[in-house]
Amino acid sequence: MTNMLTDFVGLKMKNPFIIAAGPWNRDGSSTKKGLLAGAGAVITETIVSDAMLDVRPRIAYNGFGAQNIRLYSDIQVEGWEHEMDIAKSAGGIVIASVSAHTPSELAYLASKMEKFGADAIEISVSNPAKEGLEVLASNPDVIFDMTREVVSNVRIPVIVKLSQNSTNISRVAKAVQKAGGSAVSAINSVRCILGVDIEKAEPSLPTYGGYSGVPIRPLGLASVATIAQTSDIPICGVGGIDNFRNAVEYMMLGASAVQVGTAVMIHGFERITEMVEQLEEWCDSHGISDVQEIRGKALKNLKSFDEMKIEPAISISDGRPCREGCNECVRSCVYNAIEKTGNEVKAIGDRCTGCGLCTSLCPIKKLHMKW
Amino acid sequence: MNIRHIAQKAGVSVATVSRVLNHPESVATATKEKIEAIIAQEEYTPNWFARGLNFNKTATIGLMIPHIMNPMHMEIAKGVEDVAQHKDYTTFMCNVEDNVEKEKQYLENLIKRRVDGIVFISSLLGEKDLCIADEQGIPVVMIGENRETLKYPVVRVDCQNAAYEATKHLLEIGHHDIAMLYGKKPEIENRQKIEGYKTALKEAGIAVNDEFIISVENTIEGGYLGGKKYIDMEKRPQAVFATSDLLAFGVIDAMKDNDISVPKEMAVIGFDNIRMSNLIEPKLTTVEKPLHKMGVLGARLLFDMIESKEKEEKQPPKEILLQAKLKIRKSCGHKERIGEMF
Repeated sequence: MTNMLTDFVGLKMKNPFIIAAGPWNRDGSSTKKGLLAGAGAVITETIVSDAMLDVRPRIAYNGFGAQNIRLYSDIQVEGWEHEMDIAKSAGGIVIASVSAHTPSELAYLASKMEKFGADAIEISVSNPAKEGLEVLASNPDVIFDMTREVVSNVRIPVIVKLSQNSTNISRVAKAVQKAGGSAVSAINSVRCILGVDIEKAEPSLPTYGGYSGVPIRPLGLASVATIAQTSDIPICGVGGIDNFRNAVEYMMLGASAVQVGTAVMIHGFERITEMVEQLEEWCDSHGISDVQEIRGKALKNLKSFDEMKIEPAISISDGRPCREGCNECVRSCVYNAIEKTGNEVKAIGDRCTGCGLCTSLCPIKKLHMKW
Repeated sequence: MNIRHIAQKAGVSVATVSRVLNHPESVATATKEKIEAIIAQEEYTPNWFARGLNFNKTATIGLMIPHIMNPMHMEIAKGVEDVAQHKDYTTFMCNVEDNVEKEKQYLENLIKRRVDGIVFISSLLGEKDLCIADEQGIPVVMIGENRETLKYPVVRVDCQNAAYEATKHLLEIGHHDIAMLYGKKPEIENRQKIEGYKTALKEAGIAVNDEFIISVENTIEGGYLGGKKYIDMEKRPQAVFATSDLLAFGVIDAMKDNDISVPKEMAVIGFDNIRMSNLIEPKLTTVEKPLHKMGVLGARLLFDMIESKEKEEKQPPKEILLQAKLKIRKSCGHKERIGEMF
């Protein structure tokens, strides 16, 4: 049996899964659901000094990802005292997500949440909607001041949620560490417009929002790897985790824990139960004795251009017959290097330059890079 | 009907009824339910004043409002009241009308009425006047800055930086001759706004023209008179930065009466973002002061003090600095729509 216990910033979680901040954790009882479903910890929806009215509609989904323009919790701080009691009534770890515009405002809010029983604070000043063209968390100096002020006003661990909407996420992560933050989460939702109804000439939602779900996972993975290659600050991977494999991907690139949000919103809290079980089974079947052994395993295979040894590989079929009527590799080869005869395809050696696209496109994965 | 009658009817002591009212958890469920039923039947409500004498608590707070006719103060007051109501406290709202004597009188009256704490919005009083509250051990919190009252917890707004950003906005649009129309109160905040304005001009290499800096009463009428002064100047400014939305409304009114188009011939920017600023024509570009939030946080600081006093804890005076944010609309001739989106 794999040991799934995860010590993240001193929080003793029963597994590395955390339910991310979002409308699915809008109050005490919804927050508790995640813990009952088996998550190692939950993060409240982001709490602010002065709750705002919601707009309608505020969440849209296009089958791949979601746009969200709900900004923050609609429950005032006074109300969260009671909601925190409910959230914690089944036991388990509850992290309070907080946001504000100045260090003193943020620190005051964080200390209130600590008083109400939060086990840790997640600072979320990386909302891509409404708060400004430049996301607050893109500025390392601002993040330093905010983190330091919160750290010096609470005794619980402080995690800072970072944004992909910043030019240099390394510098921001370093600012968090220098200010005494315990960890970073990466990434928050990414500024988006989900789509446009071309008949009405109307965007899916009436203003810019945050994009979340499966499509942002590659952005999150790159951010986590970047932070892991920058500093040794613990990382919580967030963005588009839809199944246990995605959690493993984040951990292999350096995350100690992961957050799941949109998948819970779309598929329900049972998705967390599944992920926890399947991760454990996978670890068992791979002879992993402690789940933290996965952490950072793929980083050694992440190389600079300089370090890549360029092999003269070309696309080679493993001989299985093609799927009936499939022409994907032939059509997409920009080098015109693949020829199809009956049910078999062959790359022409002197034309194939080994780009590798056909190996991704082949629906039965019969093409491989070899030399 | 008083507490003795309830006790008699229930066949219990006065002390037991009192415990049901004040510490219900300490009374056996059956007894509690019986007494509560009688209380409901007799429509008995405790005498709050007497209660205050017994518990040294009246569940009331005072709120000093500089001027009830100023919509900005109404939004702050609502923030204070929202938190107080959640705590089951009643708020006495005192309309000071910018009169220091009236504010002193109200302070004395609130103390006589044994309020549990007082929130002051942009108070006219100094530490000397306020010490009578300290002598009675009544917690005091300040919202906004008018005079130096350093020893009290305060919720302030970074007016200097906001004024700097507002002036920079006018400069970026291309305005060069920018005037500043400021209200007489609140003093400290308006001084900060003037500083921010001057810093932005200096950074842009523009000499400060003292003629352009005019002080008026902080009312729509004051704004109108100030606007009229600018119109009559030999060399008119291209833009007016008013230290409140009310002043900005007055300036726009003066421009309309003199057929001067806003923003084509005169840009106007306000401060506060009161609700009406989004309704006038042209919609007012202004600085969004987090008014309701100021009230909410002021009340929270006060209740922190009231609660720590009950627990006999000492806590150092807290200061919360809030950000004010430029709110771009239509009154300055800004062309980039993206500026209005965030």
